[in-house]
Amino acid sequence: MSDTILALRKATKLYAGVPAIENVDFELRRGEIHALVGENGAGKSTLTKVMAGVVTLTSGTMEVDGVEAVPRTPLEARHLGIAMVFQENSLVPTMTVAQNLFLGQERFYNRLRGIYIAAQQFLQSLNFDVTPTATVGLLGAAKKQMVEIARAVLHEAKVIIFDEPTATLTPEEKRYFFDLVRDLKRRGVSIVFISHALEEALILADRITILRDGKHVVTDEAANFDRARIVQAMVGRDLSNTLYGSRKTSVRPAGARVLTVQNLKMAPMVKNNSLSVFAGQITGVFGLVGAGRTETFKVVAGVLKRDFFHGGEVILRGKPVRYRVPAPAVRAGIAYVTEDRKVEGFFETMSVARNIYLGLLAKLPGGRFFLSQREADKVGRIWVEKLKVRATGNDMKVVELSGGNQQKVVIGKSLVQDPDLIIFDEPTRGVDVGAIVEIHELIQRLADEGKAVVVISSYLPEVMALADRILVSRQGKVVEEFSALEATEEKIMYAAVH
Amino acid sequence: MISAFKSFADRLLGRGDATITVPSFDGALKPNQILEKAETIGQFEAPEDLATDGKALLIANGMTILRLDGTATTEVRRFDRIITALCCLPDGGIAVALDGREVQIFATPSASSAAATYSDPSMNAINALSPGSQGTLIATDGSTARPYRQWVHDLMERNHTGRVLVLDIASSRVRTIASGLSYAFGVCAAGDDFFVSESWRHRVIALNPDGSQRAVLDNLPVYPSRLSPAASGGFWLTAFAARTQLVEFVLRENAYRRRMMAEIEPEYWIAPKLKSGQSFLEPMQGAHIKTMGVVKPWAPPRSYGLVIRLNTSGVPLYALHSRVDGVNHGVVAAIEVDGSLFAIAKGPGRLLRMPLAMIEQELRA
Repeated sequence: MSDTILALRKATKLYAGVPAIENVDFELRRGEIHALVGENGAGKSTLTKVMAGVVTLTSGTMEVDGVEAVPRTPLEARHLGIAMVFQENSLVPTMTVAQNLFLGQERFYNRLRGIYIAAQQFLQSLNFDVTPTATVGLLGAAKKQMVEIARAVLHEAKVIIFDEPTATLTPEEKRYFFDLVRDLKRRGVSIVFISHALEEALILADRITILRDGKHVVTDEAANFDRARIVQAMVGRDLSNTLYGSRKTSVRPAGARVLTVQNLKMAPMVKNNSLSVFAGQITGVFGLVGAGRTETFKVVAGVLKRDFFHGGEVILRGKPVRYRVPAPAVRAGIAYVTEDRKVEGFFETMSVARNIYLGLLAKLPGGRFFLSQREADKVGRIWVEKLKVRATGNDMKVVELSGGNQQKVVIGKSLVQDPDLIIFDEPTRGVDVGAIVEIHELIQRLADEGKAVVVISSYLPEVMALADRILVSRQGKVVEEFSALEATEEKIMYAAVH
Repeated sequence: MISAFKSFADRLLGRGDATITVPSFDGALKPNQILEKAETIGQFEAPEDLATDGKALLIANGMTILRLDGTATTEVRRFDRIITALCCLPDGGIAVALDGREVQIFATPSASSAAATYSDPSMNAINALSPGSQGTLIATDGSTARPYRQWVHDLMERNHTGRVLVLDIASSRVRTIASGLSYAFGVCAAGDDFFVSESWRHRVIALNPDGSQRAVLDNLPVYPSRLSPAASGGFWLTAFAARTQLVEFVLRENAYRRRMMAEIEPEYWIAPKLKSGQSFLEPMQGAHIKTMGVVKPWAPPRSYGLVIRLNTSGVPLYALHSRVDGVNHGVVAAIEVDGSLFAIAKGPGRLLRMPLAMIEQELRA
């Protein structure tokens, strides 16, 4: 039996004549963890979609266990023993966890109780704290991810492909996930693992393959890589000094208090939460999933409503405010850059310019009776240049952009409103390293200009690299504050967990 | 009718004026233990205020004025009433408020008799003095309804009868430049204006001699008290207690408050205190503030110690704390002398000293 379980030779996939991957050679060994690394648009997702039967190759071949195979659907790939956990959730939100797990394996007569018991036992064996009877749509991002992973494991695949599996997981959950992946490896399962978090690739993978602009750059043992070598191979330049750079030696002094949240309550996520945000500073908010960080700031921005009875106070520039919808918050100078850009951030089939123009319209009281395409183009062009959005034109649809550029459009849509308080919720989730550096520079620039900036992030190096002061949230309230000068990963994690 | 309905709705929903919230100690007010760890210079029976001529430190203690020499104190002069405020004047004299009702000016701290006396009948609770411009003295009169020692009654009655007075030393005239303040407690010259602490509104205002005012620092999580200038520019602001949701709630429950004031000893009211933990009859005990018999530093504070460093614009730079589990509570005065900050923790009756170099070192750590 060959040591290689899956191989692609001279794999090329063209979309409308444009290569997404070109002459890529890839080999996956039996029982290895293979990390696939590259910037957004490097071709990682396309390569894995070919393996999983989501798309077929334009030219080149694919072999499974030494036999040429052309899976045309995910079901055919699954029959070949290849399963994929997608970056975008592929679960049915209206069905329960158990029903999602056994989707496609239904029999003529399905006994729900039996499915739930089987699902319960299976989830427990994976040490996943997910209720099988829970409706998937009501689960948080981390738990949805767990269901996705459990489904792949359930199908007893020989090859499991994870596309950004840890993007929505907390550090604790990541540890669980890593243990699970190692456990799968011990059982002889081969893993292909896409991640933007390079540390994860270095820690978890046996081998690493790096793609750039759809082409294969290098494949080597993980032990032969370090962070700088990976980043250089990914982007073709050295970014190691700018990305999550060296420890902060100074912090910006606090300006005027822009926002005060006092005893805010939004059951069950926000419990008596109090905090302040100051002008001219970056306030980092760290916490595990479920710590109520996003919900607190969504209440501030009018996206969510606080408790009807005794819900606490939000004070903006000394005056109590209560926004029931985002529009008045936008007009008051609050911009909330969502963590879930695909659902809440933009209209994906509209152009870049129109999306940014929509942000401007939201700021105007009562909107505009007549809309100006010329103004939309002008505003779009200005912000595309300002934020270095890599689009072929203003009329390019947002859905056609890479994750990093989509995020820049979402940010542009908020910044066009000229806000005083900008809340970035997971600003670099699913964004490539090149774009991360640009977004971080932009955030720093906003604080230097005197804006009050909030960065909510589950990624500690990001919080530590950006924030002047770090608020740690746990169980619905801020429990600790650190200056960036005194903060260490250990201190922050201790406050977040204990 | 509409306002009555709105008031009822606010009380029901906990909104508007009936919102029972307090801001957190964060940003520049982030808690530490610097005040708690401060060196105790001396223990006094009734320390009230501090003053300095730039060289010596004067302490108002009950009815006496003491001078600090190293760690020893010598009595400078004695009065027949308690001293409620003290300040040094630029010409080497001192001004003293007695029982809140009279202000006397002396050419030197040890002068045999007063150079001037102000005993305007409207003076009731003079609690802070500061030299003003052109030979004037600025005084804050906390309340015209209650004497100085009954400050907690004034809070519980929700009075707002505080005033800021200008005492003209040459003409012996007293002029009111601001009234209707919610317990004026602390004043300090700031350029053309005066910064004034308004305790029950938890803020510091800038007051112009023409009477116009603006908020400099508002929505503080504490009850601010006296102000003094910092040597490198800016101010030291003290706070004698921290706000809690429980006290805020009591302040909105009129019937409850009236009955509490009528039936319970003031010592055991649900109200801010200068010291706590003295009796099992005190409210807020057990699990509210203790875990396994140890007072939680993050518990709702019944008493607290705080000094805030402000810049010249009144923006907080940092704060020195004695937290719930500490003892240096009820800080009513702080003054900078010769590279050290001296503070009075009225709760335990202590005079504290913190070298500025030590404060900076602690804050860096």
